[in-house]
Amino acid sequence: MKLLEARNLSFAWAARGSMTREPILDDISFRIGEGKKLAILGANGAGKTTLLSLLGGRLAPKTGEVLLDGGSVRGFSPRALARKVAFLPQIERLSFNYKVLEFVLMGRAPHIEALAQPDAGDEAAALGALAELGLESLAGRRAGELSGGEYQLVRIARCLAQEAEILLLDEPTSLLDPANAQRVARELASLASKGKTIIFTTHDMALARSLADTILMIGQRRLLRMGPPSEVLTPEFLEEAFGVEFGIGQVPTAYPSAASR
Amino acid sequence: MKSLRSVRFAFAAVFAAALLLYLFAGRYPGPGFMKPSLLFSDETARRIFLSIRLPRALGAILLGAVLGGSGAAFQTIFGNPLVDAGFLGVSQGAAFGAAMALVAGSWQPLKTLLSGFALNAFVSLSSFAMALTALGASLALSKRFRFGGQVLRLILAGLAVSAFFSSLLAAVKYVADPLSQLPDIVFWTMGSLTAMGWQRFWTIAPVSIFSLGFLYLMRWRTTLLSLDDEVSRSMGLRPEIERAAIAMVAATGVAAVTAACGIVSWIGLVVPHVARLYAGADGRNSIPLSMAGGAIFALLADGLARTLFPGELPLGIVTALLGALAFSALLASRSTELTK
Repeated sequence: MKLLEARNLSFAWAARGSMTREPILDDISFRIGEGKKLAILGANGAGKTTLLSLLGGRLAPKTGEVLLDGGSVRGFSPRALARKVAFLPQIERLSFNYKVLEFVLMGRAPHIEALAQPDAGDEAAALGALAELGLESLAGRRAGELSGGEYQLVRIARCLAQEAEILLLDEPTSLLDPANAQRVARELASLASKGKTIIFTTHDMALARSLADTILMIGQRRLLRMGPPSEVLTPEFLEEAFGVEFGIGQVPTAYPSAASR
Repeated sequence: MKSLRSVRFAFAAVFAAALLLYLFAGRYPGPGFMKPSLLFSDETARRIFLSIRLPRALGAILLGAVLGGSGAAFQTIFGNPLVDAGFLGVSQGAAFGAAMALVAGSWQPLKTLLSGFALNAFVSLSSFAMALTALGASLALSKRFRFGGQVLRLILAGLAVSAFFSSLLAAVKYVADPLSQLPDIVFWTMGSLTAMGWQRFWTIAPVSIFSLGFLYLMRWRTTLLSLDDEVSRSMGLRPEIERAAIAMVAATGVAAVTAACGIVSWIGLVVPHVARLYAGADGRNSIPLSMAGGAIFALLADGLARTLFPGELPLGIVTALLGALAFSALLASRSTELTK
């Protein structure tokens, strides 16, 4: 079984001169298996994105390590790692108005040598990635002309073209309206059912509850709780993490499955 | 966006037409076109064609292709359609190097040492060396900054280094002899292909062709670098290193052609816009088409520069004039794409 494991992770930005920096994350350990959906919750500045970057091997932990299939993620070459782990930042600027197919094709980068060009097989893989999310019809459109939800899905398609087993997503629905957020959540759930491991940060409790099978809550630099949504998303634990009182309200949600749990 | 195949065909056809026009238009035997049959019957015509017009045409093609291709590469790796390869200090460095050599070259002991072609070579060499010095200074300075992303750091470093070399250039102009040296310096900074013969063509060909070949092979990689660094990094690239390598090779090509031809502006800025307009932003199409488009632009501009008036116009004046007009038209037509 493919496994991503964080072992005693600590992180602090490098100190300058005599000034030492407070650690952002301290002694975090957990493991997650293939096809799992993990939501990382925490207040602003709690270190959610930092944790995601550590898991993706893009930051070096101060102590501890992240193991992917038993080997440290920092030991992989960037290319080899990109074939296993894809990362999607919350916001991505688009410098030029590429066609959707050209944009998704860029996800083939870890499979193509530096001086080589993508071939017909890569193009087929990019089209396949679009088709997996039901986006074939967008292939000829310009990325800059898409709706927010379509653009987000096209970015996820680019991760699929990468053929990575693990998807790290930083607040994947934070900029989307309920309809688009629901669509993205549905597609992510379907990808997990096909064996992809989905790890995402969010502030949306309803999304976390409906999409994730495991919630990881961080606060005060530590891992506060980890477990299934029904056990972690309780008013007491949420109050501990966010410092405000929580109540269970009756608000319509775009994730009806959350209500039925 | 038109179909790519027809765009490529159109560029190839215009290129062939521009080349033929360039080779056969001129002032021999009279102003206007030379009949191709004259090449077989007239020794002078053949000599003008083979030893003057042909190397100059090939020089114009290299100059334009290098400026257009490196402009496209720079705009793509910086995710910014308003830069070209000159902005890392290469143009100002080259101008300072040439000016310095022109002034030093008229110093009597050196003058006797260098004569004729040797002086030209001295100017080109000094210009190339200072262009590379400026490029190295920009890259080194950008690494000293402790803020912003690599793109911002490089742009600011290029700005500072360009300003530094412009001030040195001004100082050389100030001490230059206003009657003999200053006109040479001013003429050099206007850019010209007048001195482009076979000898000079072969001095720029190796570096130019290497630069073009590298940019052509890296055309898709270049596209990937237009993504945010954290995205390209997560796809397995090393964006800082790869961007610096592409910038360095592109700017080295520009340094070589600038050292030989002087400062020819606007081609690197305008041509990539036209290429993207017809072929989209993907470097797989926009970079080769920018090379072809730059060659066409240089052939047409130099064709005008050498035939419009009985005396030649400096090429840089013509490219700046045509470039500014084309750029204004592009921006006003709303077909320019800028999403950032």
